[in-house]
Amino acid sequence: MSLLSQILTILLNGLQQGAIYVLLAVGLSIILGTLKFVNFAHGALYLLGAYLGLFITTEVQLTNGMLPEWGITTFGLGLGFLAALLIVPLVTFVVGIVMERFVAKPFYDRPDTDQILVTFGLAVIFQEALRALIGGDSQSLPQPAWASGPIALPIIGNFPRWRLGVIVITALLVLFVYALVEYTDFGLIVRAGTMDSEMVRLLGIRLDRPYLVVFGIGAALAGIAGVVGGPLANVNPNIGTEQLVPAFLTVVIGGVGKIEGAVLAGLLLGTLQVLLIQTGFAAWNRVGIYVLAAVILLVRPQGLLGSEVDVE
Amino acid sequence: MTLLDVDGIDGYYGESHIIQDVSMTVDEGEITALLGRNGAGKTSTLRCISGATPPEVRDGTIRFDGTDITNQPPEDIAVRGISLVPEERRVFTDLTVAENLHLAETVRNKSNTWNRGLEFKDEGMSTDEIYEFFPRLDERREQKAGTLSGGEQQMLAIARALHQSTDLLMLDEPYEGLAPQIIEAVENAIERISENGTTVLLVEQNAVAAMKIADRCYVLDRGEVVFEGAADELRANDEIRDRYLGV
Ligand SMILES: Nc1ncnc2c1ncn2[C@@H]1O[C@H](COP(=O)(O)OP(=O)(O)O)[C@@H](O)[C@H]1O
Ligand SMILES: [Mg+2]
Repeated sequence: MSLLSQILTILLNGLQQGAIYVLLAVGLSIILGTLKFVNFAHGALYLLGAYLGLFITTEVQLTNGMLPEWGITTFGLGLGFLAALLIVPLVTFVVGIVMERFVAKPFYDRPDTDQILVTFGLAVIFQEALRALIGGDSQSLPQPAWASGPIALPIIGNFPRWRLGVIVITALLVLFVYALVEYTDFGLIVRAGTMDSEMVRLLGIRLDRPYLVVFGIGAALAGIAGVVGGPLANVNPNIGTEQLVPAFLTVVIGGVGKIEGAVLAGLLLGTLQVLLIQTGFAAWNRVGIYVLAAVILLVRPQGLLGSEVDVE
Repeated sequence: MTLLDVDGIDGYYGESHIIQDVSMTVDEGEITALLGRNGAGKTSTLRCISGATPPEVRDGTIRFDGTDITNQPPEDIAVRGISLVPEERRVFTDLTVAENLHLAETVRNKSNTWNRGLEFKDEGMSTDEIYEFFPRLDERREQKAGTLSGGEQQMLAIARALHQSTDLLMLDEPYEGLAPQIIEAVENAIERISENGTTVLLVEQNAVAAMKIADRCYVLDRGEVVFEGAADELRANDEIRDRYLGV
């Protein structure tokens, strides 16, 4: 393998690893930037997405937990992966809207610590309820048949087709959200609301519904991240919490509220992790992203693309 | 005819009673000035009128065009035709001049109103009229508002308020921090706005400048109205000017 192809392989794998962070961080970042709401339940939406994906795609044999005790040993719709990819974002969008109305909204004027406590509490309740019902076993979300196997790429050679799929799906979704935020009136209102929500209201604009939509979009992205990330690792009740911290790191490194920042930071973290894993430092890959985060935040407290104001 | 009628309002920040039984009227077509030292309660009064919280109005009523608007949300008060050029301008610094202006008209675009069923008496000043009125903004359409000078940002804040559907333009210390010749430009703009038929409520610490263009004046001190009358009367009243305005 030539050096160039090695480097490109690492980059592409980094892109794929980072893509999941990007999907999570973009939603988290717009929710934090626009609504000033710290959503520690974002990882639980990822978890929900992954399990919904699992149960929509296949029929799962359950051996542990309360469901089998109640006599339910197979669970799931078995509609296939494409169905999951289409249904999960819709469901998580609705879950996001319900969360905004009943969880986030009552806490907008409360301190960050209250927001963290209530959302993290909800996430833990969901995670443990899931574990109680179906056990803590790892399940595997099968890759879609149409995206299994390798694809031959120039220079790099064979690359897993699904990993490439994750990159492409992420890119399309991020472009969609970016276009929505940058080029529509809805996006203009959201961006202005991020800067000074009271002033936006003084212009006669109602913000509660745009905020609902922002929360819904963030939740849908997290749900999709669960579905597309599912086939790349095991699905078990811990994966939400595991993704939460890297996702928050991605947000602060990129700059709160900045979509481009979330993309850049997600890719940086992903690439660094893959680089460490593939050069024999696999044990250090988690440490690596914290060190990178610490260094970047020491030099630029507002994050790579954050504006100074956001720090205050 | 009375356009805005503030009738004995009491405004509170938490438990502190800041606005004390303030009454004032703003007549259609006039320039009314609300004067007073720093901390007198001018901004708080404007916030009560515009529905911004805090402060909270616990007593009294505010009527606009005959309708009770007391404690309504700011977005509902704004669409009735009250626009505010706030203290420190509050233009959206990361947005371009054009985007700042466009924001003020999004609410008239039916697809953005989320079924509020809004009807507007007038359409606000059109974009073309705005750029004709403020040629400097025309030259800087695609520039981020944060890169404008203080005077230009003030013009943008005024332009944004006029781009709303507005019958009453409220300005909070529009001369603050501006050089004398810029103050004159802003002053001219306000006079021309008034001549075009928009009613103006001008809040100022700079009483001399405000009295020049105002028809009627109110003077606030510690949250209470201590003088009301024609601008000429205030000019002639040395005692009030000396005690409450320091001029
Ligand atoms: N958010 C607030 N919370 C508590 N007190 C406030 C707040 N804003 C203003 N005040 C107080 O209200 C009084 C009037 O302030 P303000 O309306 O800003 O006066 P002015 O605009 O005339 O300078 C001041 O004593 C000020 O300290
Ligand atoms: Mg003030």
